[in-house]
Amino acid sequence: MEDEQELVAAALRSMPQPDADAGFVARVNARIDAAPGWLGLADFRVWTLRLAPALCALALAAIFWQAPASSSSASVPDPVSSPSFSPASSSDWQTDVSGDALLEAALKPEGSVRDR
Amino acid sequence: MDPDRELVTAAAAGSREAFDELVRRHRAAIVTLVGVLTGGRDGADDLAQEVFVRAWRSLSGFRGESTFRTWLHRVAVNLVRTSQVREGRLRRIFARPSAGEEVFDPPAPGEPIDASLARRQLIQRALASLPEELRVPVTLRDVQGLEYKEIASLLRVPIGTVESRIFRARQRLKPLLEPLWKTNRNS
Repeated sequence: MEDEQELVAAALRSMPQPDADAGFVARVNARIDAAPGWLGLADFRVWTLRLAPALCALALAAIFWQAPASSSSASVPDPVSSPSFSPASSSDWQTDVSGDALLEAALKPEGSVRDR
Repeated sequence: MDPDRELVTAAAAGSREAFDELVRRHRAAIVTLVGVLTGGRDGADDLAQEVFVRAWRSLSGFRGESTFRTWLHRVAVNLVRTSQVREGRLRRIFARPSAGEEVFDPPAPGEPIDASLARRQLIQRALASLPEELRVPVTLRDVQGLEYKEIASLLRVPIGTVESRIFRARQRLKPLLEPLWKTNRNS
């Protein structure tokens, strides 16, 4: 049994080596130097990494853009407390005011209604 | 002591000359290994080149825990496995009949197998008829000359498993390789 094992091992050891190939090293070097080509685009790791600076720039731009926008939004008047929509407008509570007049009063600036 | 240590250090530092020398030293072993693991199919030379390309790109990750030779064999085995999985998927997609384990009829005893190429092909085809779990360890041991310990670490299996797989592989190879020693005795 041991002899058989050794016989097979010896046969496998006697497997001839491939012939010398002078161009092999050059082909390996060419592959190493070769650009990844358009198939490289399919590698998401490459392009996500390359897009990282653009992503950072976009994130920073979004942060800086949001900061002034939020400060300017504070100056926008609250429509509920706005005088033009104020339920305290006297015409709103007068019973003899027609529907059309009421609508007109609501749509026009407060000053002009009061002038009437 | 790793005989490639100095070259590996230089190559990891970016020396292409050192890496070229490593390629020259290990080309034959890697071409043989890839040839056997792929059953001598077309594209084995391409895969062998790719092994060295991967090795060049991963040299910085080589920590010297094993010899460079063992590490390179691991790169080759992993690359062949990955390529076979990919090939298997494509085969399933395009419904090509699966090759699976090759059926190999050895030449009749007495038939001359002196020519180096024929001898090489016979061994390659005999090994290709084995399932992967037997083919890889017996190739690494008997064709490539790696130690059992190295094979166990490379395949990440216990040393006892390596020994039993090699034993079984040789048993299955015996009838297939018989023409080799019968021819040798006759000549």
